[in-house]
Amino acid sequence: MPRIPSAIVTIALKDARVALRDRFLLVATLALGTAALISLIAGTIAMRTDVATYALAKEQLLALGKELSSIAAPEFYPLKLMRGTIEQIEIMGAVIALIAGYRAAVEERGRQTLALILTRPLNNWQFLAAKIIGGAGLVGVVLVVVFSTSALVLMIGSGAGLGIEDLLRLALAWAGSVLYLTGIFVVGFALSLWLKAPASGLLYAFALWLVVVLVAPQVGDTLDPDNQVVGGVFAQLAVPKAEQDRIKAGFAGYETVRNGIEISSVTKHYERLTFAVLGIKDTYTGKTLGVIWADKRGDALFLLLFTLGLGGLVLLRPIQPNRLTKEN
Amino acid sequence: MSEAKLAITTHNLSCRYGEFTALHPLNLDIPKGEIFGFLGHNGAGKTTTIRLLTTLLEPSSGEAIVAGCDARRNVVQLRRQIGYLPENVRLYDALSTRENLRFFASLSQIDDARERVEEVMDFLQIRDLADRRLGTFSKGMRQRVGLAQAIVHRPSILFLDEPTSGLDPMGVRMLREVIERLNADGMTIFMNTHLLSEVARSCSSIGVLSHGQLVFHDRIEAVSARYGDEAALEELYLSVVPGREDAA
Repeated sequence: MPRIPSAIVTIALKDARVALRDRFLLVATLALGTAALISLIAGTIAMRTDVATYALAKEQLLALGKELSSIAAPEFYPLKLMRGTIEQIEIMGAVIALIAGYRAAVEERGRQTLALILTRPLNNWQFLAAKIIGGAGLVGVVLVVVFSTSALVLMIGSGAGLGIEDLLRLALAWAGSVLYLTGIFVVGFALSLWLKAPASGLLYAFALWLVVVLVAPQVGDTLDPDNQVVGGVFAQLAVPKAEQDRIKAGFAGYETVRNGIEISSVTKHYERLTFAVLGIKDTYTGKTLGVIWADKRGDALFLLLFTLGLGGLVLLRPIQPNRLTKEN
Repeated sequence: MSEAKLAITTHNLSCRYGEFTALHPLNLDIPKGEIFGFLGHNGAGKTTTIRLLTTLLEPSSGEAIVAGCDARRNVVQLRRQIGYLPENVRLYDALSTRENLRFFASLSQIDDARERVEEVMDFLQIRDLADRRLGTFSKGMRQRVGLAQAIVHRPSILFLDEPTSGLDPMGVRMLREVIERLNADGMTIFMNTHLLSEVARSCSSIGVLSHGQLVFHDRIEAVSARYGDEAALEELYLSVVPGREDAA
């Protein structure tokens, strides 16, 4: 019997070594990190100013011999500043994951190494599993760098610091991001492996990216009247709750379609989950993880099923003999 | 000949892609220790045959026994026994020669992978390339590393697909010498080629494939006896392979 973990680990480690020496991946990761950091640093500067202003007011109050309770103590949520980082992962991270998936397939086909690997004592599914695990590992490491740098910037830069629960929330957002980008990696890998010309696979993958990552979430957002006015339409017009419900009932069909478009996109599920966990969406700011989990476990489950389902599909589909090389 | 003495045997082995028959039922016995030259024009079905024998392709019908293993039923066991060098193999540019070889040695699950890699590099005289990444290698250097990965796990049968393609005369000579040394150590060599001169110099038996059909199979001495020496193979080849008009 073939030593299953050994073959999978050998291929996954080889992929990691190749990826570490891949200039494109290095530059792309640096670009992602830089883009994420720019928005984060801009946010932390603003928050630091707010924290300093509060500290100064506190000092002045105490100097005047007054009680601290005479000014409302503000609450600072540094994790809300992760919005830009999550949005970069959503869009730019997805592009990098797609290309990494494409390269994972095209490298083996173009170099004839796929045929060499498949004439070694291992089953074909082990090769596929190794490529997916290698991709997940690569995504995981890149995201560890992005999230830990972000955490460091928040800790040092915001002036508000991060608690244990904040770190746990970051870890959960990291896990969600790994699932999301691994799923996207698998799409790029599978299409580039399955289609006759791997370049066509990449083109189809980009078309899917356009629909799933960019268009569907945007269409859903644009069709939401609450997104057209700051603070929401009903709030701005001061419409009472009962009236709001009556108006919404008249648009039930419209809302079903709008929400359907949104939730057809894995990106939206990822966004809903991470925005809630990190408290970026106001509704969830300051809520406990238990409350958020009760509300968002559907999104978490969707992400999990998306990635595992795609991975399973790749494992179940045999490698076609006429896909061993790029030329065929 | 008893099956124990055969390295490769096929019974009505065929391969079809839809309506197109890439390989008509093939019956072939290759004894252990042979250097078998498989001749044929481009598109004759030589690569398809190698892919069937190396388990990369599943046959449409028939069976193949390679190194005592059924190519359909004992895939993993068969793969332990074979080495394969495809045409135009490039390996991993980002890895050094040693890293490439260690990867394939580990994948082959041999116990002494590290020592064996050093041994093979010495055998193929590529130690000076050990720590260099393949990105800058010439075709000839890549071919040597490719050959090293094909023998690193001590296979009993080595499949070479157009191994001299794109090599300069020095490279061709080096390859021929290596093949002869491997064969002298008992390895069976199955070599696809369209170079008659290579077959004449190295092979102990030949087969000629034309449009997916085996049209000739005999020992090289028999060919020489029948057609003379120098131009023997060329004459044989032209006599058994139909021209374009005939094929059409």
